[in-house]
Amino acid sequence: MQLASSWHIWIFALFVLAIVIFQAVKFISLAKGAGTEIGMTKKEINSALKTGAIAAIGPSFAIVIVAISLIPLLGDPLTLLRIGVIGSAPVESVGASLGAGAYGTELGSSGFNMEAFTAVVWTLCLGGSGWLIFAALATKSMSKLEAKATEKSEKNKRIMGIITTAAMVAAFGNLASAEMVKGFSYIVAVLVASATMVILTALGNKYKKNWLREWSLGIAILASLVVGYFTI
Amino acid sequence: MSAIKPNIVQKVEPVNSPPAGLDGFYRRTHFWGRLTLWSAIILTLLLPMYLSFGLGHHPGWSVILAGFTAYAGIVAVVWVLEPMMYFPILGASGTYISFLTGNVGNMCLPSAAAAQHAVGAEPGTEKGEIVATLAIGAASLVNKVFLILIILGGSVLISMIPQNIQQVLPLVLPAIFGGVLAQFAMKKPIYGVIALALGFMINLTALPVYFKMLFCIGLTIAVCLYLEKKRGAAEA
Repeated sequence: MQLASSWHIWIFALFVLAIVIFQAVKFISLAKGAGTEIGMTKKEINSALKTGAIAAIGPSFAIVIVAISLIPLLGDPLTLLRIGVIGSAPVESVGASLGAGAYGTELGSSGFNMEAFTAVVWTLCLGGSGWLIFAALATKSMSKLEAKATEKSEKNKRIMGIITTAAMVAAFGNLASAEMVKGFSYIVAVLVASATMVILTALGNKYKKNWLREWSLGIAILASLVVGYFTI
Repeated sequence: MSAIKPNIVQKVEPVNSPPAGLDGFYRRTHFWGRLTLWSAIILTLLLPMYLSFGLGHHPGWSVILAGFTAYAGIVAVVWVLEPMMYFPILGASGTYISFLTGNVGNMCLPSAAAAQHAVGAEPGTEKGEIVATLAIGAASLVNKVFLILIILGGSVLISMIPQNIQQVLPLVLPAIFGGVLAQFAMKKPIYGVIALALGFMINLTALPVYFKMLFCIGLTIAVCLYLEKKRGAAEA
């Protein structure tokens, strides 16, 4: 179907992508300024950027591989737009098939015409806006709430620190467990990555090598894939 | 006009309020965060409007409503829960970037955690939030580069990857989660054990995915707070 890859959709997709890229650049420059203000060194700032970028390589690779499956169904530009902003391939594919279903057809079938495609675009774009609208409306209020909770005393600040750390550990404990219940090779992957991480961190601390700390997650993923290969 | 405003603020601020710390940063964060999010919302909604009424492929409002309500039935809870439960971790700036770029749990959080670990910044502190913002910003850019390459190079690139290598790709996620969990477990072993134990129990139930996450975070916070309180009482 020609509409799915027409220039009309490309223009929207490229504009949205430009916003996402602009925002990332803008926030990096804001955070650089604020970091300098609170006394972070240039080295620390660069290390944070580098580590974030390295840590994103593995997930990004996995994300785009899954996103490929959307291209035959949605076309290049709409896939770019939907994966470029909030939205992961599995969720988007559910939304797409619901949109097509509402029109009374299926993705990729002969009855999937331009109106059905438009129904899919409506479903995905309305559905994806939910996160954005909530984040746009509520983030400032959540900030105020947090500031109110911490401003009163040192003790509240300390409690907030515990809550943040516990929430972070809990998020990863839950994510790791959800993977581990999937089967043996998933358990191996979690264990190998954990062990690699512990060893690399110990080495990094012992020899004071910062690059080891920056690359540790990347190396842990690689080690775990290599070992995991033999368990599949 | 709106583009000029924050620049003025930026220049005046350090003179006016040096001890205010990150007030200026937060103000600018909210301004640019909302501006970029609302622009993205408007643009993504203009696309279906244009297809419907500009190009005349309108499928009918009842179809749109049926598709949307079916989809919203699955994701509407997550719209609210996700930004709220990740907020203590991401902070305001991290929330604005993460929820625009997407892949919060599998990319933004691990990147933020890895960077805080590399720099030695505690989550929940000002430094921790800035490090997280830098890391998630960099992660977002890397992610878009990958996405653009894939769309341009298309499936050709992917078909060049041998089948047996593609097989291990599902293991990327457990590897990331295991690695990051180990980082924390080294610093706070008790937190790690509690989170993993609760995570396992919760994941053996048949709850919806987002409730699992909510319960795990809520219960872990409660248990950790209780333990710290007990320890604080013992020390005092």
